[in-house]
Parts: sequence; C-alpha cells; structure tokens
Amino acid sequence: MRKIGVAALVLLMIGAVVFASGRPETGRDGITLMQNKPEIDAMLQDYGQVWSDSSGIGITIKSVGGSSGTSLGQQLRADYTAGEMPDIFIIAGIEDYREWESLILDLSGEKWVADTSVAFTVDGKVYGFPVAIEGWGMAYNGDILKAAGVDPASLTSYGAYKTAFQKIDGMKDKLGLDSVVSMAASADMGWVTAHHNFNSLLSNGLPYGDMSVVKDLQNGKVDQNRLQQYADWVELLFTYADQTVLTTGNYDAQVGAFATEKAAFLHQGNWVDPNMDAAGATFPMAFAPHGSLKQVTDGIFVSAPSFYVINAESKNVAAAKQFLNDMVYTNAGQNFMVKEAGMLPAFSNITLKPAGQLSQSVQKWSSAGKVYSWNQYQFSGEFRDQVLAPIYNQFATKQISKSEFVQAMTRAFENRKN
Amino acid sequence: MNRFHRNNVTFWVFLAPVLFAFVMVVAIPFVIGGFYSFTDWNATARAGQGLKFVGLHNFTRSFQDPSFLYSFIITTIYTLVNVVVINVLAIVLALAVTSKLRFRNLYRMGFFVPYLIGGLILGYLWQFVFNNAIPAIGNALPFLSTLANPENLMLRHVDTSIIALVIVGSWQYAGYIMMIYVAAIEGVPTELYEAAQIDGASGWQKFRGITVPMIAQAFTITMFLTLVNSFKQFDVNYSLTAGGPATSFMGKSIYGTELLAMNIYKVAFVGNDLAAGQARAVVFFVVIVVFSLVQVSINKKKELEL
Amino acid sequence: MKSNKRLYILEFFMLAFLVVYLYPFVIVFINSAKDAFSVTQYPMRLPEKWSQLFVNMESIWTSRNVRYSSSFFSSLIITALSLVFVTIFPAMGAWVLVRTKTKTSQFIFLIFVAAMVIPFQIVMFPLVAWFRTVFQVTGLRLLRTYFGIVLAYLGFGLSLSVFVYHGFIKNIPFELEEASIIDGCKLPEVFFRIIFPLLTPVHATIGILHGMWIWNDFLLPLLVLGKGNRIQTLPLAVANFAGAYVKQWDLILTAILMAMIPVLILFFIAQKRIVKGMVAGSIK
Repeated sequence: MRKIGVAALVLLMIGAVVFASGRPETGRDGITLMQNKPEIDAMLQDYGQVWSDSSGIGITIKSVGGSSGTSLGQQLRADYTAGEMPDIFIIAGIEDYREWESLILDLSGEKWVADTSVAFTVDGKVYGFPVAIEGWGMAYNGDILKAAGVDPASLTSYGAYKTAFQKIDGMKDKLGLDSVVSMAASADMGWVTAHHNFNSLLSNGLPYGDMSVVKDLQNGKVDQNRLQQYADWVELLFTYADQTVLTTGNYDAQVGAFATEKAAFLHQGNWVDPNMDAAGATFPMAFAPHGSLKQVTDGIFVSAPSFYVINAESKNVAAAKQFLNDMVYTNAGQNFMVKEAGMLPAFSNITLKPAGQLSQSVQKWSSAGKVYSWNQYQFSGEFRDQVLAPIYNQFATKQISKSEFVQAMTRAFENRKN
Repeated sequence: MNRFHRNNVTFWVFLAPVLFAFVMVVAIPFVIGGFYSFTDWNATARAGQGLKFVGLHNFTRSFQDPSFLYSFIITTIYTLVNVVVINVLAIVLALAVTSKLRFRNLYRMGFFVPYLIGGLILGYLWQFVFNNAIPAIGNALPFLSTLANPENLMLRHVDTSIIALVIVGSWQYAGYIMMIYVAAIEGVPTELYEAAQIDGASGWQKFRGITVPMIAQAFTITMFLTLVNSFKQFDVNYSLTAGGPATSFMGKSIYGTELLAMNIYKVAFVGNDLAAGQARAVVFFVVIVVFSLVQVSINKKKELEL
Repeated sequence: MKSNKRLYILEFFMLAFLVVYLYPFVIVFINSAKDAFSVTQYPMRLPEKWSQLFVNMESIWTSRNVRYSSSFFSSLIITALSLVFVTIFPAMGAWVLVRTKTKTSQFIFLIFVAAMVIPFQIVMFPLVAWFRTVFQVTGLRLLRTYFGIVLAYLGFGLSLSVFVYHGFIKNIPFELEEASIIDGCKLPEVFFRIIFPLLTPVHATIGILHGMWIWNDFLLPLLVLGKGNRIQTLPLAVANFAGAYVKQWDLILTAILMAMIPVLILFFIAQKRIVKGMVAGSIK
C-alpha cells in the first residue's frame, strides 16, 4: 500500500518537472509552411533543409493528410484558433480564399507573377502561387488500344468513344481486361464524379476561362441539350466500368485496375504518376479528351488546383516571399519541384521535364494550347459533395435511370442555395 | 447515512481535482460551443469581422434538412441493433473468459485486442474484407459463389452496409464491454459460490442466482456506454462507408449510411459552416441525453427488481 | 465425464471463433511486410520477403517527419501520467460522492455522467480557443504542453471513471469504513488504506480502457498539441501516411503493428497482476 503511495508520488514529481518544462515554442527566426500532400513531404523537408542552409532562415514544414480524418482546412482552423497560423499555407480556390480573405497577402508585385499564367487572382490582384499544373482526361493504355485497333487520336467525341468502348468490350477476354474503363462512384470517391466528371459539363468544348455554362447553372438555368449529352457520356462510362470498382472501390482499387492492365482507360489525372511508378507500370500511357458532347472536343482539362498564399500577419513576410521566389528561380528549387516531387511546374522559365508519362502528356496538350478550364470550384464543396455526388452514386448503383438522373441534376441546380 | 456534511473540507478537497479538470476542459468549452450555435461563427479569419447573432436560425434550418432527419432515423436504427449485438457478444465472451476454459487468458487478451486498432484504419481494413476478401472466398468456394457477384457486395446496398457497420463496430467494441462484465463477474467473492456449492446448488442455479444479478448491475453501465458510443459513432462510419451508397429520402438524393456524427462533420467542415454544425451537435447532445435517461431509469428499475 | 467432453467441445469452438475473430490481424501482419502496391493489389498473398517488414520498420523509425522514437516516448509519458490521474482523482471524487447523499453531490455526479454524452465536435474548437484565452489572461500555458494534454485527458476521461468507480464503491460495505474510523483513522486514511486497495480490479479495468483510448487517440492531441510541433504522439506522427490520393499502406500497417506490440506486452503483464489481485482480494 505504501509502495503504491510512493510510486504515485514519484510519478507526480516527474509530472511536475515535465509540466514545468513546458516552455513555449521557441519562436525560431524562421517560417512555417503548411501543405496538403503528405506524399511529397519527405522531399519537401529535404528541400527545406537545403534552402535553410543556403538562405540562413529556418523553415518548418507541416504536411497534413487529406484522409486521415483531418484536412488542411480543419488543421488551419485549429491552428488559427490556437494563435499559430502558418506563414505560408495552401488554398484550393475561391471558396478557401473567401474564408481566409482578411489574412492573405497581395502578391501582385512578385517576380514570378510574370512567368505564369495560372496564378490565383481576384479582381485583378494576384494572391496565390500555383503549386503545380495538373490535368486530367481519359488516361489510356497505349498497348491495349493498339492491340484493339483503336486510334487514340480519334477519341474526341461521344460517338467515337461509344464505338471504341463497344469494340474493346467485345474483345475483353482477348485483351485480358476486366472492364473497359476504371471508373469510381462510391461514397468516398464522390470527387471523381461530382468534381472532375462534373467539370465536363461545365467547360468541355468551351474556350479557356469561359464561364457561360457556369453562370447559367448558378442562376438555375439548365441547358437541357448539353445536360442530356452529358448524361449520355456518364451513362457510357458507368456501363463500361468494372461494377465492383464503380460502386464500392476506393482510390487504390480504381487506379490499381488500370496499373495492372485490367482496364484500358482510367478516369483520373496526372497525379496518379507516383502510383503508376509504385506499381511498376511502364506501358505507354497518355491522355485523351472527354467525350461528353456529340461535337469534337479536342482538349483536356488543365489548371493549377492549389496555391501557396502568404499570411499577411506573418512576422516574416520577406522570408516567406523569398522562399517562393527561390522555388522558381534557383536550381535547387526547380529540381525539387520537377525531379523530386514529380510535379509539372506552372512557370514558363522552368525547362525541366517531369518523369511521369501522364505529366508529360499534360505538358504536350498544354503546349499545344488544347486545354479546357477547371470550373468545378465555382460551385461550393457542399453542393458538389452533398447534393451532386449522391445523385451520381444512385445512378451508378442503378437506383435511378438516366432520365431520372437528368431530372435530379436539373432540380439540384434550380434549387441550389449556395 | 451522510458521511460528509456538504461543507466538509474532505468532500471538497477530494472533489477538487476532477471538478477543476471538468470545468476547464468540458464545462466551459461546452457552454462556449452552445453559445456559438446561436451565431454565425466560423473560427476563421471571417470571425474577425464580427460575430452575428442569428438566434434559432441554425436550428430551424437543420430540422428542414432531409439529410439531418434521415441521419437521425438511421442512427437510431444502427444504435438499437448495435447495442443488442455488442452486449450479447460481450456477455458470451465474458462468460468464456471467467469460466474454466483452459485458454481463458488467451481469450481475454484476444477478444480485447481489436480495440487496439484505431477506428479509421479499422474501417479501411474491413472495407477491404467486405470488398475484396469476401468475394475472393466466393470465387474459391463454388457453393458460396453468390458472394463473388458484384451486385451482392455488402457495401453496395444501404441495408447491408448498416449490417457491415454493426459488424465492424461490434468487433471493435465487444472486447471493451467484455472487460466491464468480466470485472463485474470477478467482483463476486468466491465465498458466495463456495457457499452455494456447499448448499448443493447446480451450475445453472449458481449462474442464475449469483452471476446474473452481478451482471445486471454492470448492465446499467454497459447499456449506457454502448448506447452513447453507438450514437456517437464516427470513425468507422467515415472510413468504412464514407456515408455509404446514396438513397432517396424526401425527394432528395442523400447518402444512405451517414450517421449523425458524420452529418455534423460534413456540415461543419465540408459545408464550411461551423455554427450550423454546432447547432446540430447541440440537438444531437439533447437527444442522446434523453435516450440515456430513459435507458438508465429502465435499468435502475430492473436492477431493483433483481 | 460428460461435463469434460462438453468442456472440450466448447473449448474447440471458442478457439475456432477466436481465430476467425482475429483474422484481420493476420491481414495486418502479412501486409506490413510488403511494399505499398502489393498491399493494395494482392493483400491476401503471403509476403515475398519477410525482410521487407524490417525495411518498413526502419523507414518509419528513421523518417524525419515522423520522429518515431520521440513520439513514442511522448505517447508513453502522456499515457502513463494521464492514467495515474484518471484513476486516482476520479476514485477520490467518486468515493465522496457515494458517501454523501445530498442534492449537491447527486447533481455533481449527474453532470459528470451526462458529460459522457457530449459529442466531441461541440467542444473541439471552443476548447482550443478557451485554452488560448487562459494563456493570454493568466500566462498559464495549456496548448502545446504536457500539462494541457494530460489535463484534457483527465477532463474527458473522468466521466467514465467516476461512473464506474461510483458503481463499485457502492458495493463496498459501509461497516468496513465505520470500523476503521472507530479504530481512529482519519477520513483520508480511510480512503487510501481501506477503499483504494479494494478497488484494484477497477483500477486495472479503467487503466486498460482509458489506456487504449489515450494511446491511440488522434483528435485531442491534434488540437491540443498541434501537428508538427515539439510534442507529438504516435497517432499524430504516423497520420501523414494516409494522404488524400496516396495512402502508404505498407507504412500504415507496419506502424499499426509497431504501436500494438508494446501495448500487447503491457497487457500481458498487467493481466497476470489483475489475476493475482483478484485472488488476493477474494481470500481477504
């Protein structure tokens, strides 16, 4: 009995000592950066170290995972409430910008602004440094298409895809495929349908930056003709997809099916390059346009999805600005962006080429000017995730028919609150 | 028998540490959170632009939202099923662990161990079991081949997804509840059993006369815990079904297995409306309190009867 | 003889059930020795090289972002300290609440128990804001310190502890205490000498239940300690393995394994002591 008492006392003393040593975080004379791609965290840490050594300024990199139960937005809110807002952080679009508006610094005067066309701008002022260029279309397996006698260059319209899908589907066994296209529509893959695929409705075939369809939909005006063609495209994808992957598959399942050559097409973007690498997939692959319209739409969707912004209340604005500048204009920075992190740089002065095939494909389409914009962020995350995504899911699990799908989508736009 | 007068020093000194922690960590934040539900607070830079008082707006909006109402219904169903399954399983396991079985210590550890895996990873693991492992078994054993049909995947339909949630929730939690039943059973002094043995009681009589009343006392605790934790379920919901297959309710397309905690999370963080999330959380809290009060009073009455 | 055969059959079924029940762990184990891609594509196959397990363990141990050894140590300190407080203090509080039948004590007890119902979402951000306010007003540092997180665990854990201790203390005969008072013990002595030792099985149970929760907890450390700061717990440190698009399953599963093993060992040791405690208690 007394032994327990003594032990408890000892522990309490240790406790007291530990508590007393709770010194505040020594505010290093440095900066903090918070980003949301844990997969490049190791490379970013290395680069941070290199930059610190050469610039003499310390930098702390914090990477917040997107699916470990907390997202970057949540983490930012928590840190803001705790009084520890990072000096550099990431926003994904106008919604994020509105949330942190009063904290984001105007960067219009920075040198790198002139070297990029996709910086984040609001009312003519530049606020965001584009992290990387990303793009998606229909990724295809070059070998399989060749074996099936389908020319990828011809895949530019709904009709062409329909013919190609039917043809490949008939040759599934011969080609060793489980399905024609690897598509996902389950609850946690709602972003594939309600963000990316949805964007086809918004911008496929329109000039880059054209917001006419977006504006109409935001005002509740639905172009039934365009929507109907889009529904046909969605139906095509769902019909020729692997039903297991479609209804219950997660990201690994969807990407894995393509990487192991069980599907000829993949509905994802160039961010899957690291997955292809990990899978040891070396077959030729590239992007083809989406066939959401009867007319020819010869382009893929390219943009910068996330941006570094600088905290206006930071105590080290100059250091933060320098960090961003150095990423674009020093060899170490360029090397990090392209070679280490495998990203497609958004700056025209950088000549390095990423190693991933899909990234190179995006670059090709981009250089040829055959690009369509990313407009899905004009609609709130809540609208896309909570209103649209379930509709796609019901369509994919055959609970509703195509006409009901069209009706549900129309109603969703007409009744939209935000 | 009042040991302590209310003003007795010992009373307050002994309570002081827990009272302090409680007030600092639970009570004050709770009141603050409750206050926020009447405003348009958002914990971000926008809050710096002033807090607007919006009265009951957040609450009325919640009750008009089909997905919130649906979440209530589905969470209640899930809770009822889960409570039954977990407790039945836990009692059976507790009996095994306190019996004369040779490996009972192994069982004690083995059945508790699932609790060690955090909820999120658990969901992803079991997602794999339902989506890949079970169809694989279906492919391997011909008479179970229906399992391999993609149409029959458990996570593809709402009703079987709920069952999947119950399976995973029970798997994780039954060992935890088992420990409480075990503590109750082992709290029985062995003299009681010996006395009954001397009196010539059979195994069954010993069970009914001694073990069951002992378990019944633990019942109030375990029922309460399983009720509250099932109602609050989030981790497994998030990772196993992510809200699950969609379904139609009140004319809207909504997620079919989105339990209340997840609904609140989505409103707060996906919808960027923390105040609305707080309001729903307050409603959530009130409902659980009502349910558990009902449960506890029923259990107390039964306890007295036994 | 019939009861023996019944026992054997029962034993067999229980063992079989246990094996099936624990099958997911087999999955964790065999997949922690694979590289990421094999985990997702061929999860049922046995690993090609078991040595991959050590490669994975090494990447986790040496990963600069994870800082495994220091996170492990921090988790250990936090869990141990929290457990000490979440058993002693609630037991003390529960005892005086049980032995006092006033409206005040009943009210306090009810409030404590009702708190178990509070969903964490309600208090999440207000907690952080409040802790920060306390620092600004009084200079007492709660965020990003051991003191703050242990206090938080006491705050959130005391509800269950008080609830369970209350239930068990009620069953301890009052005469026991009266006898010791007649013998001249002062009130605190009555508690620490008589009641506290009798509660050993409850200490063990609460210790295990809360220990598991605190060791694996992610959300509370995320808010109170913050990500990437000086003090990190294990779940915080390994959270980076699951990104939005790329989940490094090989590392996730290996990390789970590494987190489980010390707990299992402790559990095993603790079990023996619990059994000893039971036997000793019943003989008395």
